[in-house]
Amino acid sequence: MIVTVLSILLIVTGLVFFLGAAVGLTRFPDFYCRMHAAGKGDTLSTLLVISGFAVYQLHGIDDFTEDWPVLLVVLKLLAVVVFIYLTSPTSTSALADAGWEDGIDPVIEPGHENHLEDDCRKPSSPQP
Amino acid sequence: MKAKIFASLSVLITGAILLYAVTDFPDFGDPGSPPNAGVPGGAPSASRYYLENTYRDTKVPNVVTAVLADYRGYDTMFETVVILTAGIAIFAILRVLRRDDAPAAPDPDPARTDHTIDGDHHRIIVGTTCRIAAPLIQIFALYVVAHGHYSPGGGFQGGVMLGASFILLALSGSLRETLTRFSESDYMRMAFIGIVIYAGLGLLPMWVGRNFLDYGALSGLFMTKGEEMARSHSMLGVEIGVAVTVMSIMFAMFANLSTRGRLRGGL
Repeated sequence: MIVTVLSILLIVTGLVFFLGAAVGLTRFPDFYCRMHAAGKGDTLSTLLVISGFAVYQLHGIDDFTEDWPVLLVVLKLLAVVVFIYLTSPTSTSALADAGWEDGIDPVIEPGHENHLEDDCRKPSSPQP
Repeated sequence: MKAKIFASLSVLITGAILLYAVTDFPDFGDPGSPPNAGVPGGAPSASRYYLENTYRDTKVPNVVTAVLADYRGYDTMFETVVILTAGIAIFAILRVLRRDDAPAAPDPDPARTDHTIDGDHHRIIVGTTCRIAAPLIQIFALYVVAHGHYSPGGGFQGGVMLGASFILLALSGSLRETLTRFSESDYMRMAFIGIVIYAGLGLLPMWVGRNFLDYGALSGLFMTKGEEMARSHSMLGVEIGVAVTVMSIMFAMFANLSTRGRLRGGL
């Protein structure tokens, strides 16, 4: 019972973050904000949803000596969680960095244009 | 120019013939087609034979792998040879062995073409993650190869994943550093070793007077009770050969294509 409630909680929280990521992806003004929404929202929501699946699998276990194949499924799901936790933020970072080097300007306050100066950038290109 | 016209014409004619032949195929999933229903009064259905007898013949639960590596072993062997041929073709067309008449590099700035990891913060992030991820990918690829006859997977898929892990290392760090660990002579040699493993396993049954690729004869070599387990074990050996070839050719293609055959600089 408590396992089911916990898994429902995890999955629903994950879906809320998914919704936030989707809204941010469509509504934010520039590349970096959208990258931020997609990267953070996607990572956290995927982690939560898959952890929810892992917790849900636990409720089929009565006796560890007989039900160890279920435990294997849980371990595989947790391995997926670890892998996403490693790779998803890295790809977001790499994409944002590539955008910065390629000269995509973020939306900034007037008067702070000197923040855009960086040696490793190409000259600014118009916002796609 | 003439050669280009000739090449385009031959490609077009071959493609037209192949497309014309497609119309003669039975419909996809047609239960009345000869492979599914057999020929009336003639040969029985091949599909039904595989589905009903694969486990009895080979003790392999995954029928796809059994058909691919055992019943149709010739086909898969020459598929692997096709991959090797593609790799050799790319080597022959692209590889620039003499440095002086090499075409201009894609990006002449050495600091950007052969980028270093230190001093570049984001390459530290990407490089570290990829160095952590690459061994995990390789372990999973070995699992896919070794588990090919119990679950979806096998030599081609596992080989592609192994090759992709090396490509990931070359993309995140530098190609030069990856080439010191998996050099050109290494991967070209391993591409041939894969074929030798496959064809060698096929030749061994001929030693005791059986047919080429008739793995059942290897039960003495593998010290198994029946011929079924020998066939199962041989499938694993064959998949390993396929994986070695596919891995090497994947990386060879990436190294040659990304550097225009110079194996220096690159992405």
